[in-house]
Amino acid sequence: MMTEIARYDLYNRRRSTLWYAVGMALYMLLIVVLYPSFKHSTELNKLTRGNSPLAALFGATGTLTSPAGWMNVNAYANFLPLIMLLLTIGYGAGAIAGQNEEGTLGLLVVLPLDRGRILAGKVTTMILQALILALTVAACVYVGRAFQVKLDPAHVASATFAVLLLGVDLGLIALALGATTGSRGTAIGIAGALAALCYLISSLAPVVHWIHPVRYASLFYWAVGNQQLTNGAGPGALAVLLVVGIVAAISANIAFRRLDVR
Amino acid sequence: MTSAVETFGLTKSFGPTVAVDRLDLCVEPGQVFGFLGPNGAGKTTTIRLLLALHLPSAGSARLFGLDSVRDSVAIHARCGYLPGEFELDPRMTGQHVLEWFARARGSVDERLRDQLSERFDVIRDRQVRELSKGNRQKLGIVLAFMHRPELLVLDEPTAGLDPLMQNEFHHLLRETTAEGRTVFLSSHDLDEVQRVADRVAIIRAGRLVVTDTVEALRRQAPQTIELRFARPVPPGVFESLAGVQRVTAEGDRITLKTSGQLAGLLRVIADHDPLDVVARHADLDELFLSYYRPDGATDDD
Repeated sequence: MMTEIARYDLYNRRRSTLWYAVGMALYMLLIVVLYPSFKHSTELNKLTRGNSPLAALFGATGTLTSPAGWMNVNAYANFLPLIMLLLTIGYGAGAIAGQNEEGTLGLLVVLPLDRGRILAGKVTTMILQALILALTVAACVYVGRAFQVKLDPAHVASATFAVLLLGVDLGLIALALGATTGSRGTAIGIAGALAALCYLISSLAPVVHWIHPVRYASLFYWAVGNQQLTNGAGPGALAVLLVVGIVAAISANIAFRRLDVR
Repeated sequence: MTSAVETFGLTKSFGPTVAVDRLDLCVEPGQVFGFLGPNGAGKTTTIRLLLALHLPSAGSARLFGLDSVRDSVAIHARCGYLPGEFELDPRMTGQHVLEWFARARGSVDERLRDQLSERFDVIRDRQVRELSKGNRQKLGIVLAFMHRPELLVLDEPTAGLDPLMQNEFHHLLRETTAEGRTVFLSSHDLDEVQRVADRVAIIRAGRLVVTDTVEALRRQAPQTIELRFARPVPPGVFESLAGVQRVTAEGDRITLKTSGQLAGLLRVIADHDPLDVVARHADLDELFLSYYRPDGATDDD
């Protein structure tokens, strides 16, 4: 019965999930195809020379002409997390609070199904959507080997997995906020603001000395802010992201059990 | 025998607003229980409390002897629910709705589901967004009844139905209770409640005003007596009599409302040469409206 909830939500979001994946695949393929043209560009590295805070704001730090730097500045540090968060925060805010506002949640809650299992169905849907996007991106990066984007597949896999966890973490936070407040708008607003704050901390930490010590508080730092494409996302970083996700899921479960459903 | 529904001081507050206030109800199995009240009286909130959609602020509810919150999964397996604001995903077709809820619920008698769909002319091949309010409501009725639940909790179930379908629905209610199953019916339609309900509860401002059979309520209601005399009679003659609640006079005509023993009143009437006496019980509408009114209000308010 829990799988029915997930099946139903996945079915209803099949078109948006497909277009997110197709759009992201086209973007990633464009990035890797363009890489050979920029590989020897000395102008590009001037952007980050002198630790420019402006460049850092767009996720550009260090060398940009290496395969890792190129993929980082064009996807992993900014665009990929942004698309992932649009998908997960949008779904997380809508899954409980949105359905409650629409008046369709009540018929689910009166099924002979524990609320925790309904929530598990929603979380499964979120993870599967994020997984489809992450696998698409990883596949495109692998295709990039034909265009001189030669990255360690293990590092790409762990970095992409870290982005998936980042998205699911903030999606679960949106889910928990929605279950607590019953308001989709509030859930999107707070989770979005939190994501933006995390992004700013992580991207500015390398160039703004007073932000540097607080980078550990940013989920972006653990997912994309520590040269994950070069070194891989370590077990410590993945553990932090996993723990945050588990805490958010438990919070969502507690809040959902207390939610007055229409 | 275990009651189908029992509440004990059931209370629900939203901030400073008390929506349901120390409600004590008992619904026996095999009956249609009409739950009446004006808008905002707390009917829908009570229903949501019974089905654990809302958590009580105080008190508790038991369905089939089970705790409404702790045993909600077991209770939901035995209940059918039609919400007052019945909403479905607008992109689903009627067929998709029926199939999905049958799979998600499990233990649905597909033959019964199809019979009900035919009986209520449910449109299966169109998306919910294309259906009229009445056609969506028919889909909701099938969803509520298709697993043959022991208790049906129905919030304004005939809203939007045409008279033929309303009639069919009333037949379905009678069949349901004939099988020993129970219906908890919230409705604004007093005529409907009078026709189908065995017992009635009236709630106002979150508090239970009265609960009884329709017949008993009617018996307890004051009678209206219209009198015509040979000559004008001062209304004060009747006002002091026990049981007489209100007297209006117009020329040689007196109209009064009374409850209780009539012997004393009839003796006084006889002493003043009555030409005509008409007595009638209160209409059910009038009776309910008298309960709906705020304390102290009268017909003239």
